[in-house]
Amino acid sequence: MSAAERMSPTRPGGVTRRLLTAHAWLVYLFFYAPIAVLIVLSFNQNRMVGIWQGFTLDWYAQMLDNTAVLRAIRNSLMVAAISTVVATVLGTAAALSLERYRFRGRSAFDSVLYLPVIVPDVTMAVMMLLFFVRAADALFVASGARVGLGISTIAISHIAFNISYVAIIVRARLAGMDPVLEEAAADLYAGRWQTFRRVTLPQLMPGVLGGALLALTLSLDDVVITSFVSGPGSTTLPVYVFGLVRRGVTPLINAVSTVMLVASMVLVAASLLLQRRRAEP
Amino acid sequence: MAQVLAPPPPDETTASPGAEAGAERARSRLGVLIGLPPALYLVLLFVVPLVIVLVYSFATRGPTGQTILADWNVDAYARLANPLVREIAFRSLGYAALTTAICLLVSYPFAYFIATRPAAVRNLMLVGVMIPFWSNYLVRTYAWRVLLSSSGPLSQLTELLGFGQTRLLFTSTAVVIGLVYGYLPFMVLPLYAAIERIDHALVEAARDLYASGARAFWKVTWPLSRPGVVAGSILVFIPTLGEYVTPAILGGSKTTMLGSYIVNQFLSARDWPFGSALSLVVMAVMLIATVVYFRTGGRTL
Amino acid sequence: MTPAAAVELRGVSKRFDDVTAVDDVSLQITDGEFFSLLGPSGCGKTTTLRMIAGLEFPTAGSVRIFGDDMGLRPPNKRPVNTVFQSYALFPHMTVHDNVAFGLQMRKLGRDDVRQRVASALSLVQLEGEQRRRPRQLSGGQQQRVALARALVNEPRVLLLDEPLGALDLKLRQAMQLELKDLQSRVGITFIYVTHDQDEALTMSDRIGVMHGGRLLQVGTPEDIYERPRSPVIADFIGDTNMLSATARHDGHMVLGPGQVVRANVDVPPGAQVVLTLRPERLRLFPARDSVDPTDNALDAKVVRRVYLGNAITYDVDAAGVTLRVRQRNAPGQRSFAVGDDVKVAWTTDAAVLVDR
Repeated sequence: MSAAERMSPTRPGGVTRRLLTAHAWLVYLFFYAPIAVLIVLSFNQNRMVGIWQGFTLDWYAQMLDNTAVLRAIRNSLMVAAISTVVATVLGTAAALSLERYRFRGRSAFDSVLYLPVIVPDVTMAVMMLLFFVRAADALFVASGARVGLGISTIAISHIAFNISYVAIIVRARLAGMDPVLEEAAADLYAGRWQTFRRVTLPQLMPGVLGGALLALTLSLDDVVITSFVSGPGSTTLPVYVFGLVRRGVTPLINAVSTVMLVASMVLVAASLLLQRRRAEP
Repeated sequence: MAQVLAPPPPDETTASPGAEAGAERARSRLGVLIGLPPALYLVLLFVVPLVIVLVYSFATRGPTGQTILADWNVDAYARLANPLVREIAFRSLGYAALTTAICLLVSYPFAYFIATRPAAVRNLMLVGVMIPFWSNYLVRTYAWRVLLSSSGPLSQLTELLGFGQTRLLFTSTAVVIGLVYGYLPFMVLPLYAAIERIDHALVEAARDLYASGARAFWKVTWPLSRPGVVAGSILVFIPTLGEYVTPAILGGSKTTMLGSYIVNQFLSARDWPFGSALSLVVMAVMLIATVVYFRTGGRTL
Repeated sequence: MTPAAAVELRGVSKRFDDVTAVDDVSLQITDGEFFSLLGPSGCGKTTTLRMIAGLEFPTAGSVRIFGDDMGLRPPNKRPVNTVFQSYALFPHMTVHDNVAFGLQMRKLGRDDVRQRVASALSLVQLEGEQRRRPRQLSGGQQQRVALARALVNEPRVLLLDEPLGALDLKLRQAMQLELKDLQSRVGITFIYVTHDQDEALTMSDRIGVMHGGRLLQVGTPEDIYERPRSPVIADFIGDTNMLSATARHDGHMVLGPGQVVRANVDVPPGAQVVLTLRPERLRLFPARDSVDPTDNALDAKVVRRVYLGNAITYDVDAAGVTLRVRQRNAPGQRSFAVGDDVKVAWTTDAAVLVDR
């Protein structure tokens, strides 16, 4: 763009523009500096995290040897996989029923669907804990079986809030879809399931994938709810790290954190790239 | 062309003044069928737990910390009025308000700047905001723990500059910094969306009618971006009230917020009725705030 | 043997909340005819079409296709196909997959499908475009894919909802003739919805004029144009002059003081009537010329002149009554200027009476 083109009546020019640019750089610095520091310090030879003493990969080696960490990673992935798949299916179904159909109880369902998004983490954690306590009690009374908190309780809890997030995203996408395509499919002899599979779903995919990605992230990130409903041996990675952090800062945590950071960034970058490729013919 | 295809065989025909009613019934039956699984899940695993918490909030705490459901009272709720709870509540409100204000001040020029860039730059800048947002929240807060510690890099920098060691960790400042860091994208994105949506023709019209850049902003852009300001503020203020992780990592005993206080009731204090009551009240406050926002015409986020 | 009615509507009404979109419409469409539903936006023509397709269901009344009451049958169980106004091509599918869709839904074999798709595309002059995607095609091409997609299923009735609306004038006019040709060749019933009266007049065997949810008149293009049954129809179809008059004896009508004209109508003296006069049936003469005494003539002054290329319209003021005259722009035609004194004349059979 030429300098003249850059100066338009609707864009800030001159001093304002320079100030805004500087401000923007500062904001990005604010965003990335802590992350950068964390990554750099994970290679610090010094046990005292702040003071640099030399480059090493020891902490990463230690991390790979640490059974607790590895188990936490495995748990996190399992819970995330289960809850993402189930929540995406249920959330998409919820979005479809609310957006394309009218039935009695629709507005009640609509309101309940938004509650998990508004309810704070801590309240939700309390809710799930008490529920499982009472459910375990009831199960014991009914069959003598003793069930404890574990992977299943974590997954169940994650699904409970993820359904809403998926539904919101899928619904937004659905609202923007012209129903005439589905009408055309019906006009061309497609039954309801066929219409869904061959016309609605392909169009809906970006929304479904976006919802799934969000559910995955929220599940991997969750600390409060998971800590309340996990038992010994079923800790997830963030909860494990949280426990470590309460006890003090060590470079091991840095190493684990760096891995988590890089993993999530790679995930996001991959999904963005996939989106871009889908958009192109 | 080949021989004429026969139309598909009919499966039901009814004489009809008004097939409409039957068709609508069939359609709503299908809607219920599709919506039933998620609805059942939510009822069983959200509404029921909520009711259970409600019941527990009326129970009594036994001497060894177990919960006696048989003893009904509103003691837990009465305790909400005591000074410690009030102190924590006001502190939480204060942190939330401060965080929201800082986020707004920092985000507005930033979002405005992004919205006025050409499309390719805009997308790049937004991705730059999203990447830290998508990475783990706990880890990002931990990063500040490292950064702010008295032997951390920031402290080393201030020592170098002659200001001595930083004593920011475990203070309110640290907590607010952590909160701002965590919730900044929640302010940037709605603001950006609102500003970007403003029709540039309106600003051009203002300039055409002799307004200076600053006046055009004040009279046109700012008022039209207000829905974004409100949306962003809600998205920051409400969750911050119930925050637990950030004050737990960056704060000390003097910075207890509602979230940590509630968690305590279940982990150390073992006062489940009180914890239940507290968590319900916090939820109620957030619900009311959200409903008010939507009733006064807030846009869907 | 009388040909079966391809589509029959009996007392069909459709209400949305408190709006009556379609009000007691009864209609019979013959097999093989090109039938248009014509009317302004919001008159209920599209809703009527959708009820035939099965995309909406009547609040009252019935829809019969070749004698079968459609009842609660969904669109995928009706022997009709629709060409939508926005074409509704599936964006994530190629042209081939779009056109093949209906055939695939009915489980035809792959080779059979490929063959039929190819011949459908050549029918609409798009052979070879199977691999393209809708977004790579122009508006006119998309429209033809939509047509092929419907026709390939050999429906007995084809429904078209303002399919040419998004095309520019020249293309639209070409497509009108193509569609008409296509229909005669394929021989199936076309039900065509449009708000463009030229389009309806050009293409249709019969036209049904709708307004405010009601079906006002059904007839051939000539019927509708020459013998409109109400002022609404007369006004909607083409330009028309409407004159209020009081009947006297023997076909004499009084328009105003000193203005008596004759018309070939039979109404009791004293009746208030509305006469419609097509602008092209009026002729202008310089005021001083004499006019055939068997014709009607009024003294007037030219107040507006509009040059349309192939015609010129003059608005003339005859003592308070404004008339529009349309003159072909042919060599030898007299030209008038604003302010000229003229005589405006028409034959006694030119005026058509309409009910108020």
